Amino acid sequence: MYSIETENLTKKYGDFVAVDHISFKVEKGEIFGLLGPNGAGKTTTIKMLTGLTPPTEGDAVIAGYSIRKNPIEVKSRIGWISSEVILDDDLTAWENLEIQARLTGVRNWKERATSLLKYFGILDFANRKTGKFSTGMRKKLEVSMALLNSPEVIFMDEPTIGLDVNTRATMWNLIREINRDYQVTILLTTHYMEEADSLCSRIGIINKGKIIALGTPEELKSRYGGDIIEIELKNGTNVNVGFENAVVTNGKVRIKVSNAETMLMDVIRAIGNDNIKGIKINKSSLDTVFINLTGGTIEEQDFDARRFYAMIRRARR
Amino acid sequence: MMDRLYALYMREAKRIFRSVYMWIMLISQPIMWLVFFGSSFSGVPSQVLTSFFHTTNYIAFILPGELSISMLFVGMFSSMSLIQDKRFGYLKRVLITPTPKYDVFLAKTLGGMTRGLLQVPILLVASYFLGVRLDLTPLSLGVLFLSLAFVGIGFSSLYSMFTLKTADWQAPGVISNLINLPLMFSSTALFPKAFFPGWLRAISDVNPLTYAAELNRGMLLYNDPSWNYLGYLAMFALVMVLLGSILTNKYLNAE
Repeated sequence: MYSIETENLTKKYGDFVAVDHISFKVEKGEIFGLLGPNGAGKTTTIKMLTGLTPPTEGDAVIAGYSIRKNPIEVKSRIGWISSEVILDDDLTAWENLEIQARLTGVRNWKERATSLLKYFGILDFANRKTGKFSTGMRKKLEVSMALLNSPEVIFMDEPTIGLDVNTRATMWNLIREINRDYQVTILLTTHYMEEADSLCSRIGIINKGKIIALGTPEELKSRYGGDIIEIELKNGTNVNVGFENAVVTNGKVRIKVSNAETMLMDVIRAIGNDNIKGIKINKSSLDTVFINLTGGTIEEQDFDARRFYAMIRRARR
Repeated sequence: MMDRLYALYMREAKRIFRSVYMWIMLISQPIMWLVFFGSSFSGVPSQVLTSFFHTTNYIAFILPGELSISMLFVGMFSSMSLIQDKRFGYLKRVLITPTPKYDVFLAKTLGGMTRGLLQVPILLVASYFLGVRLDLTPLSLGVLFLSLAFVGIGFSSLYSMFTLKTADWQAPGVISNLINLPLMFSSTALFPKAFFPGWLRAISDVNPLTYAAELNRGMLLYNDPSWNYLGYLAMFALVMVLLGSILTNKYLNAE
């Protein structure tokens, strides 16, 4: 039984393909992560799945309804949490909940809202304006609002972006708890490897609009993982490393090996003591999966956001 | 479903009622009009006033006009509110729910109307203290509010239509510049059309502000209202709301 099934879902802005024929399935009750750098197409995917923007091509079935044919049915069965917290700060928490309840057509919303606020420990603040809330409380209120209509699926767009370490840990627990206690399927997007690794039962790695790998974190690590030795060079311009799977960028050599500890001495010998500024070893992780799949780190894949938005704006006209 | 429109409208209303600056604006703007602009003819001999304005008090003449102009000016706030919702992402929150887009439009329009109608009692009281005596009956008050509601709905819709596709803060100011002044001065809200050139009179004759000003002047000052003017205003509001709803469903962007 799937909560989300996408089939060749595509979004084009003019000539620019933001999401390129992605197909994946998310089982009911799963926490599924879309992992990728900024601009990979994560947010656009969520926009299509929540009905904010129509797909250019392909379709998705959410909670049994097609986003093309029955967008209203889809919308009444989903919840959404934005990357930036979106509340009406001139209104109280309770008033924000009331609007959300009426917009989603929830009947006994007062009981539901009370129990949710109690569950998240913010019932005492119900009648305060949300403008005075801390970021953690605002996130909790937003999650309560997303759960108000007892959705089958909740979409979370970069749920922990901009949060400090403590709040992020709290948010992770919260995501696990609502997934367990409210039996809700969660699709989240993130560019934090450790977030995807720790939260998600399955992950789709997305880069430049395409899903390039799909599986559980363990599957991905064993299939695309491997240790990585990274050596910072003193003279990075002219090196002949002589290893397979070696990539030289920005004065750094990255070498993929099966076991870093046993290979390290060979690598040092090949490059030469004199030319080494620093050595870093990455044991197999989603980071290494990403590097192996794309040839760069997730930071390096970050693209020119300004160019991207200019392109979208042009296409809208 | 009315529930959705109700929720969105209540949000607009609460935001209006809770803003101190909004109250300062609501109270000061119309009163400044009456006091400063209204006093500009106070030295005119009363025969002149009677023959051109059919009243001895210019403030009484412009009061119905100024009430109509107030309803024109509040239109800007509906489109500002819409742009604010785009900027802060709130519109995304709304459009991810099963809420039809035209509900967003209607809530903004009704919000603008509410804001304008709040000025009516303020102006009536202020004019009393400025020596204006009006023919206030339940009927005349009812017609006054109804006709001004039509004007408010019509112009709020018009404003929102122009800013459906933009998220630029500057847009409402530009639109208001292009709409407010021509409509205000081409109406009979401030001056009778006796001295208008032909082309201005032609605009004046279709301008809803003229109809609102004349209807309420007839009602409050001369006890001789032209009822078909009320019908004209109702049609204006209806056409604008329908047109706005259709355009919103087609063109409203969440961002």
